[in-house]
Amino acid sequence: MSCPKFEADVALYAGGDLPARRMARIEPHLGACPDCRALVEELRAGQELLSELREEPLEDAMVAQVRRRVMARVTAEEVRGAVPYWKLALAAALVLAAILSLPWRSGKPPQVAKKLAPARAAPAPASVAPPVEAVPVRHRVVHRHGRAPLHHAQAVQPSAPLLVHFVTDDPNIVIYWLVDQKPQGD
Amino acid sequence: MTVYHLERSDELAAFERIMTQCERRVLRVALRLLNNPQDAQDAAQEVFLRLYKHMGRLDAERGYEPWVFRVTVNVCRDILRARVRLVALEETPDPAAPQPDAHHGMERAEQREMVRRALSRLGEKERTALVLRDVEGLSTREVAQILGTAEVTVRSQICSARLKLREFTGRMLRRHT
Repeated sequence: MSCPKFEADVALYAGGDLPARRMARIEPHLGACPDCRALVEELRAGQELLSELREEPLEDAMVAQVRRRVMARVTAEEVRGAVPYWKLALAAALVLAAILSLPWRSGKPPQVAKKLAPARAAPAPASVAPPVEAVPVRHRVVHRHGRAPLHHAQAVQPSAPLLVHFVTDDPNIVIYWLVDQKPQGD
Repeated sequence: MTVYHLERSDELAAFERIMTQCERRVLRVALRLLNNPQDAQDAAQEVFLRLYKHMGRLDAERGYEPWVFRVTVNVCRDILRARVRLVALEETPDPAAPQPDAHHGMERAEQREMVRRALSRLGEKERTALVLRDVEGLSTREVAQILGTAEVTVRSQICSARLKLREFTGRMLRRHT
């Protein structure tokens, strides 16, 4: 039966965790008390068994499974991160620029081109701009000169182009489409 | 674009290297703390995913191990708290434990099994301190850093844990004989 007064110090002493100032107190006691010496031996035997747990081999399959699961998750994240948002935004901006350049093919620039200038100077921010085709689009038709709606198209001169105004859910993306009108029938 | 890919692949290679270095240790600690191989695997997976996420922000000079240990202990604590009850070792045999050889070292293997069971009966804090100190062989200071406590607290925990472990194993031996 060890001495309760020294038990805590003996437990630390056995593992080499006792601070130096307390060693001076326990060592003389251990020299005189066989029960506490027996406790030290018993505790050390337990510690030896505990340290043997460290040497026990883990099943390779268990380790491999963790590695496989981690790498699968990490690789999936890599693939997602491989096409950065700025590339998507650039692609969207290029498509938009191509669409915006269409009115100029008819020769004379339409009046609406002035309204488009700021949109071209400041394209949609990279982090929020989705691909153009992913944006739901509503459209309304506006006459180039702002006078005639679509159902009055026949009243307009046959050569006057029609301006189609696409309004998307993203306020940064507005699409204008200039449509050449062919004379109807005769 | 090339630089981007190179950096990513370098990072991935570095991560894989670190994971290979400490995966067994992480799994072993998780297994000792959780007493359940499936939970230990889940914990290890979470530890390495967190490592991957934070790798760029960690100080490589100081080494990743203290950080990995700290996260391992925290993840295991989270799992333990989420559990409705502790799963005793008797209910789920530990697959990491080697099968005792029929001819050699059977007695020693039995003793280790007894210590493993006794370890599972300790409270969470005492078990964590003892696993890090006596199983993993870290110093009291390292354990204190990992657990975010004072050295004196760690000493108190391991002192109490060693005495309880002795008591548990003594009781098991008495029951056995």
